[in-house]
Amino acid sequence: MAIPQAYDRKNDLETILVQRTLRSGQSVSYDGNVVILGDVNPGAQVTATGDVIVMGVMRGIVHAGAGGNDSAVVIAFRLRPTQLRIANHISRPPDDDNVDPEQAEIARVRDGVITIEAFPPGGER
Amino acid sequence: MSEVIVVTSGKGGVGKTTTTANIGAGLAMLGHKVVLVDADTGLRNLDVVLGLENRIVYDLTNVINEECRLRQAIIKDKRFEGLHLLPTAQTKDKSAVTPESMQKLCTELKEMFDYVIIDCPAGIEQGFMSAVAAAGKAIVVTTPEVAAVRDADRVIGLLESKVGIKDPKLIVNRLRTKMVRSGNMMSVDDIVDILAIDLLGVIPEDEKIVISTNRGETVVDNEHSLSGKAFKNIVWRILGEPVPLLDLQDEGGFLSRLRKFIGLSN
Repeated sequence: MAIPQAYDRKNDLETILVQRTLRSGQSVSYDGNVVILGDVNPGAQVTATGDVIVMGVMRGIVHAGAGGNDSAVVIAFRLRPTQLRIANHISRPPDDDNVDPEQAEIARVRDGVITIEAFPPGGER
Repeated sequence: MSEVIVVTSGKGGVGKTTTTANIGAGLAMLGHKVVLVDADTGLRNLDVVLGLENRIVYDLTNVINEECRLRQAIIKDKRFEGLHLLPTAQTKDKSAVTPESMQKLCTELKEMFDYVIIDCPAGIEQGFMSAVAAAGKAIVVTTPEVAAVRDADRVIGLLESKVGIKDPKLIVNRLRTKMVRSGNMMSVDDIVDILAIDLLGVIPEDEKIVISTNRGETVVDNEHSLSGKAFKNIVWRILGEPVPLLDLQDEGGFLSRLRKFIGLSN
């Protein structure tokens, strides 16, 4: 498998590994990348100046590239955030959103808007 | 002319948040400018009940710490024109808000809105004290259970002595008429006897409340639900209209209404 496009860029930031599920009211904030081995539940918040990768279900609020890094991405096995922020962009799922794709997804800023695509790009497992 | 009303109960789970949301929506439906303030820092729910969770960027604690302007933290409701929410933080605790900061906040809110309705946390500690600090009026919610009535009594005592809120009003929530009739549940009269405050309204137990709450909707705008009508009447009473109490007897549906009509049951 080719290296996914998302990682075809320079990212020299430190990375923290969070080996638990973040429950409502809990938060992780880090100057660098955050990898979570668990879920992020509604009411929990992850903030990182770099990328956020969730090896589980992302249901809470996530802010990647906090501080203005437009090239930061959010990747999750299941991307269902309450709210998703990258640098200065904010998005939320539409109110009538019922789609529930059973695969990993990546969120990133393209042409000034947050877009969500399958991860790895085009890949179906 | 604007009013600051706190919705409180002492005991948790009796319906403070649902009551706050429905009264707020009801007042907004009648053309009033309303802001609902969630004072339950760390265990906020009002945003979820209103279906506005995903719109929150700033909250009450950010306003208090002067990290944003008040107008930036206020969220417009998606259904009712005139209804607004000031959420609180989920990742902080009750110490993030003091009675003084709440008073300052409400002074500003009073200039922007006709009604400021504060959803109080359960308990009688710091969170309660901050939530009630700025209120001029109080609504005490209870259910027909001994424990809830006991806690409501404690809260009414605190409101009158420590906070200085005179004559709080009572809402009895989740009443089951059938159980009251069979003698297995406290009646509204029993509760009013103990608490000795004015009754603002009675909300019957209603599946529709569970459904609407889970969907992030209110029930006061539902013409077909008894609980919705009960909330609407409460709203009218808050506005000073003398609306008679609802007849909750028809919860049994068509058959019992028919029986009542032909005189088989009282």
